[in-house]
Amino acid sequence: MTGSTQSGRSTAARPASTTGSDGTSLFELPPELAIDTDVARRVIAEFIRGQLRQAGFERAVLALSGGIDSALVAYLVAEAIGADRLRCVLMPSGSSSPASRSDAEIVVADLDCSSEVVEIGSLVDGFFGTGTTPGAAGAEGLEASPLRRGNFAARMRMAVIYDRSVTWGGLVVGTSNKTEALIGYTTLFGDNACAFNPIGDLYKSQVRQVAVAIGVPEAIIRKAPSADLWPGQTDEGEAGFSYPELDRLLFWRIDKRRSVEEVVGLGFDPAFVARVDRMVATSEFKRQVPPIAKLGPRTTGVDYLYPRRRPGSARG
Amino acid sequence: MQPLRIAFAQIAPRLGDLDANLARHLELLEEARRGGAGLVVFPELGLTGYQLQDLAAEVAMRLDDPRLSRLAAASAGLSAVVSFVEESGDHRLFIAAALLEEGEVRHVHRKLYLPTYGLFDERRFFSPGDILRAVPSRLGVGLGLAVCEDFWHLSTPQLLALDGAQILINVSSSPGRDLAMASEVGLGTASSWRTLMRTYAQLTTSFVVFCNRVGVDESISFWGGSEVIGPGGGAVFSAPMFDDGLFLADVDLAEVRRERIALPLLRDERPELVGREWRRLVAERAGLAPDSTAEAGAKDGLDVAAESAPGRPIGFRGAPGPATRHPAAGPSKGGAR
Repeated sequence: MTGSTQSGRSTAARPASTTGSDGTSLFELPPELAIDTDVARRVIAEFIRGQLRQAGFERAVLALSGGIDSALVAYLVAEAIGADRLRCVLMPSGSSSPASRSDAEIVVADLDCSSEVVEIGSLVDGFFGTGTTPGAAGAEGLEASPLRRGNFAARMRMAVIYDRSVTWGGLVVGTSNKTEALIGYTTLFGDNACAFNPIGDLYKSQVRQVAVAIGVPEAIIRKAPSADLWPGQTDEGEAGFSYPELDRLLFWRIDKRRSVEEVVGLGFDPAFVARVDRMVATSEFKRQVPPIAKLGPRTTGVDYLYPRRRPGSARG
Repeated sequence: MQPLRIAFAQIAPRLGDLDANLARHLELLEEARRGGAGLVVFPELGLTGYQLQDLAAEVAMRLDDPRLSRLAAASAGLSAVVSFVEESGDHRLFIAAALLEEGEVRHVHRKLYLPTYGLFDERRFFSPGDILRAVPSRLGVGLGLAVCEDFWHLSTPQLLALDGAQILINVSSSPGRDLAMASEVGLGTASSWRTLMRTYAQLTTSFVVFCNRVGVDESISFWGGSEVIGPGGGAVFSAPMFDDGLFLADVDLAEVRRERIALPLLRDERPELVGREWRRLVAERAGLAPDSTAEAGAKDGLDVAAESAPGRPIGFRGAPGPATRHPAAGPSKGGAR
């Protein structure tokens, strides 16, 4: 449009790029999920600045895993407020792949932001125990499933990042994407804990698109997404879907309000649709604040409704 | 040439902070005056911010509020449109847009249509206005004020133009959403608005002035993109999307006359026809007249016929019986209104 300056880089909407520097495809982008990344970056930058300003903070802190989601958020925060106001905390555990840490270090080096490494293995082991030595959980903890250990590790990372929020003096920026939030592929009060989330309304395919546009290293964009809770784990391997397929289905079911019959008519496998519908329904609780028993005349979230950041609430 | 310089105050109000926003309004009024503007337009709820929820009652102003008087006094020599939460004498809250001229509150428009769907929750906190009037102005032409959603209802621009407005002014806090690649400006909301404004300008052969805020309230980001569209339907000026600032644009008011002579759409409007048919629709919806497009057998006021079955009570008047209308009723509507 006339006089439009959407991102500061370019005034014209550019076609979505999915091509890497070697000419091969970085990822598969379903056409209906294509977005204007210039507009997305502009909106997100304003959002990040607005959230910090309203809370009276100038800095941000985030947990950088080496995966695409947290890497993209790091780039977005750096673009919005400058890398010097961002601290990335790398929190590997015993199960994390070494490549995750080296990829995270590449992001830190590329952005030239401050960072620190907090090993959380000892926190997890302190609870569950190691070898034959019980931890705080007692003998039973030695038999804990990978799922329990993974959830615990995610909540230890949450505890650490909120401590770093205090020492760094910055708000915790969330890194969960829309796809994983909708299917419930998150740890409650773990990786989904944050002060605000700039990418929570972007499907994985859209995260990838913005990541390409903003310059996230290609190796991070290409690698298989993983919760990195145990060696060799991948999201798609564990859940038995591909992100492009899942994103498309969620887009039609949720964003475009298509019925089961209608999406089957679009070519989706009915069993896949049923399974994803169930995942979305059973994880509804993870996306909402816990209900409070209504007793008094005004109840938080029910009939006491204020903006999170009211006049006079900003720090400092 | 009857030049008019319009100043768009495309600002990011501070949510709930009336004093800070008032100070910003006073600054920008002065800046607009220095820039030679004749008309200054601020966005919807520019004095309070948009996502107020229960703060609405705390930032509400009566029309005799000294802060409003101060703003009116500061607008001397200008026509200014400002927007705030208005509290009536009987303590209803309205989203109001006021025209300030010659140191006075010349006209108040209360938002008529309060979106309460999707991301909107306005009807929970506000009362809808009941009056739509064009107003004469010191600019020598009638003005028509409307707030955001008012322009998602066709009758609003039409009524304002028929009532004598030659400049239709819409003040908005439009949340940007739908980041579609297919959209010309990358944002579905912006594309829709741009289509509406061009259409209204052309159909009413009037200037359409749109002032939309920028900045962030909670989750939502506002996209700016304020515009003035000429009476031929073409954009005269488009402010940047997302940028905070005061933007100036010059229009030639004589364009209205030229367009209306060449394309006498307003002359050919049929208000008596429209009024008659609307009265019929109102009567049909109220069940006071047969609905000409309802299913055969539908009771007055309903457009679907309840299926008659033994032992199953249907209808609201007496025993189940034959249709109350002529059998040649039109095709099924196939759904609720």
